[in-house]
Amino acid sequence: MVLSLTVNGDRLSSPTDPITPLIDVLREDFHLTGAKPVCREGFCGACMVLVDGLPTLSCLIPAALADGCEIRTVEGLAVDGTLTPIQAALEASDAVQCGMCFPGMVVTLTHLLTTKPGATREDIRAALTGNICRCTGYERIVEAALIAAAGK
Amino acid sequence: MPTHPNLRADRTEGTGAMNTPSARSIYVARSLPAAIDALNEYGSAGAPFAGGTWIMRSPIRHEPHQPHYVAIGKIPELTAIRIDADIVEIGAAVTHAALASALADLPEFNVLATAAGRSANPAIRAMATVGGNLSTSGFAAADCVPALLCLDAEVEISSRGDHERIGLERFLKIRPTLGPGRLLTRIMLPRSERKTAHARLPLRKSGDYPAAIVSLAVSFDATDRVQAARIAVGSVEPVARRWERLEAALVGGPLDPAQAAEVAVELANEFSGRDSVELPAWYRVSVLPSLVRRAAVAALDARMES
Repeated sequence: MVLSLTVNGDRLSSPTDPITPLIDVLREDFHLTGAKPVCREGFCGACMVLVDGLPTLSCLIPAALADGCEIRTVEGLAVDGTLTPIQAALEASDAVQCGMCFPGMVVTLTHLLTTKPGATREDIRAALTGNICRCTGYERIVEAALIAAAGK
Repeated sequence: MPTHPNLRADRTEGTGAMNTPSARSIYVARSLPAAIDALNEYGSAGAPFAGGTWIMRSPIRHEPHQPHYVAIGKIPELTAIRIDADIVEIGAAVTHAALASALADLPEFNVLATAAGRSANPAIRAMATVGGNLSTSGFAAADCVPALLCLDAEVEISSRGDHERIGLERFLKIRPTLGPGRLLTRIMLPRSERKTAHARLPLRKSGDYPAAIVSLAVSFDATDRVQAARIAVGSVEPVARRWERLEAALVGGPLDPAQAAEVAVELANEFSGRDSVELPAWYRVSVLPSLVRRAAVAALDARMES
């Protein structure tokens, strides 16, 4: 079966098994390795991508069910090399540690700040409940999100 | 389907599960008759696919995928919630997030709104469905099951040319043997004056399966005494069930959280906890009285607010 997926605005095809998790198609067929297959259970959030604008665990959605959807990965957030406000805030706040959880964090926070521009600390913490940072660097991540939300 | 050119896509590799990737398919049904026809056609080689949060983790459990899945998440009647004066009807493919949102302003369903709105994490809640929670025999920690038991839910099972309506307790007994082509399609909840609460104890505040769940629904008479009570316990045993002796003990008196917890201590030995990698069996049972107390406090708080 050949799947046709729209990823970061590009129409891409993959001759894959339909039950294959989307994350594997993104990484192994399309070489978009930002999203990470860490727990493969939906608990860690490292594989988060936007599917039709919604944060989605790409380890739990079969590639066949993403057919016809707009998929955006962390690689597709910056436009022409210009970081988005949350990406810039995370960099400026030196919030990145090992980097394993980060693509998922960025995707989740991108959605939050798009749908709730004035997000509070509680909003940010609630949104990140499904994104686990094993380096436990949450405070800087939350602070960076608050900076981005404040438009500083 | 052509032979799969690259076996790395088969994530069952190395897990003990066996499948032939090239033989698998997902059919996206657009109507209920189409879904039921497909399930009949596939027979034991097929299964419904709702949110997928359990099925997609099959390899981790060393379970093979089914050769064929019928995706039911785009069937309009299965994703609808109807709220009438005397009944609430929930399509089986309604997600936890949608359910929590729809019930947010109906205090009598606090128990279900909490179950659906606190399970797992936001991204899982946007995928996982109420029908999936009820139909997955192997998922002991499903939050919606005890919540729906205490709300006296009935379910509709559809097959070719037939819709059967049975109580949820009965459904939980027959679900492992539900034949191909028979699909859980709706959940029906009677409406009534009651106060409800859902108390769960996860190992972390969010994301983990709860060690134990107590769901409570109580109605009061004019003198503030408990007129009727339904209590269900989830995650402690392999299948959620009602705690009928505790229900009986609460009826006729005022709802006193401390006293309810004391009675729960006396009656907790009727549960045989399930052992798992994250928790020993005894622990699940031992936290039940505290959860009963918390649920009673929450129900009383709801009564004060009304």
